[in-house]
Amino acid sequence: MAAARQLGHDHRVTETSVILALVVITALAFDFTNGFHDTANAMATSIATKALRPKTAVALSGVLNLVGAFLSVEVALTVTNAVVKIQDKSGAPKAELLADGGSALLLIILAGLVGGIVWNLLTWLLGLPSSSSHALFGGLVGATLAGLGVAGVNWNGDGSKLDGVVGKVLLPAVISPVIAGAVAAVGTWVIFKITTGVAARFTEQGFRWGQIGSASLVSLAHGTNDAQKTMGVITLALIASGHWGDTENIPLWVKVSAAVAIALGTYLGGWRIIRTLGKGITDINPPQGTAAQSGAAAVILASSHLGFALSTTHVATGSVIGSGLGRPGAKVRWAVAGRMVLAWLITLPAAGLVGAAMWYIGDTVGGTAGALVVFTLLVLASGAMYLKSRTGKVDHENVNDDWDGAAPAAAGSSTPVPAAAH
Amino acid sequence: MHNLGFALDGAWQVLLAGLALGAGLPILFALGIRSLAWGAGSVAVDETGVTAGARRPAGTALGYTLFAVVIIGVLLGLTFIVASGFGYKLDFSNVVPTLVAK
Repeated sequence: MAAARQLGHDHRVTETSVILALVVITALAFDFTNGFHDTANAMATSIATKALRPKTAVALSGVLNLVGAFLSVEVALTVTNAVVKIQDKSGAPKAELLADGGSALLLIILAGLVGGIVWNLLTWLLGLPSSSSHALFGGLVGATLAGLGVAGVNWNGDGSKLDGVVGKVLLPAVISPVIAGAVAAVGTWVIFKITTGVAARFTEQGFRWGQIGSASLVSLAHGTNDAQKTMGVITLALIASGHWGDTENIPLWVKVSAAVAIALGTYLGGWRIIRTLGKGITDINPPQGTAAQSGAAAVILASSHLGFALSTTHVATGSVIGSGLGRPGAKVRWAVAGRMVLAWLITLPAAGLVGAAMWYIGDTVGGTAGALVVFTLLVLASGAMYLKSRTGKVDHENVNDDWDGAAPAAAGSSTPVPAAAH
Repeated sequence: MHNLGFALDGAWQVLLAGLALGAGLPILFALGIRSLAWGAGSVAVDETGVTAGARRPAGTALGYTLFAVVIIGVLLGLTFIVASGFGYKLDFSNVVPTLVAK
């Protein structure tokens, strides 16, 4: 009798272990897409102005992301609390989700992560710099809506601080690009006033270093902010399935693997997005790049100091647009910027839809099989988008081609990344 | 609506800090570049080429001083990232930035 129960228990533990393993792999995959999706935020301007060679830029950014991820020893275990109610304030998972080895919670996390990854890959394919944090939050919100209903989502916080979907996602998304844009526009405008008439041998070299320095700061801040989110999600899954019990610390292997995943992703470089941000929005020169990255770095750091959640992507994009507005005679391609803003608007609901659909599929099939089906769907979708990206390839060799003069990609004129065929 | 209030409250602080550091430091940097060029006596150079001018050591010194200020600003930024990760924060209440435990 006891032996039978023991056997039954072991069987269940093994089942949850499979789901847990899928969650960990998927979380690291999300972290990887987070890395390559966001390389552009730090490095697009330096690549566009040739302050750094493309490969050097992504390598530098990757290393700084790795270092940044390890600097973030602050526990980010409550990361999901911003938008959904699956944890309590200490970071421990809600007790009602822990039946059956925590598989209810694991499925929500898995479905949410898949939503985030699919949206990240799709926007990368289209060359659109959308926010990875919004994709993750959107996926989680969608999966939670499907799994727990409307009450499971933290829409508006409890009124004591900036919180919830509105406070942590929607408002910062509207406000932060405007702030970053204003800062970069002011910086660019004054810099051009100051350096007019100064010999190029001084400005070229000087602003080259200004750009490298400010871009490095953005990379480091990115590693600290974004790698934490994945670490928090993985640790939550470990706690829910009973493999970790400490809400004060994150297991070392989680920290190392998340740091390596985001760094590798950054090094891979999302060339399509780098191209849009560096060449598509406006034509950037070194003083503008310096102003844009300094503005981005300052706004990101000031915000995290003040607990004002924002997306690195929105800030970087806002500051690039601002640097285009601030330079006398520069033009901003508003069609490109508009398409980007549209992508920002639909990031949350789109990732949410995928997250919700994945939850329903996983729940309908049920158990380990359900999780495996969801994971397989993710692999298929990723594979399809990767294959699609091979036509009209953008890489470190053609990332800087002229935006307007380039031949339309073989994939069709609907793609917003005009890349010359190589 | 409380969230909107919190957001706007945070927003203007971020804007001020952003302008001071994100626009201020690169502006100092640009001034440094201009000072260096002035110190080397070639500030008025046009497209036709370099006209040799008198060196002005004060300009060179001022240029490097401005660069130093910018580098200190960046280092403070770095300290800020690292410190908050390790449970410290930069405190500016005594003007001189000091690290205090959170």
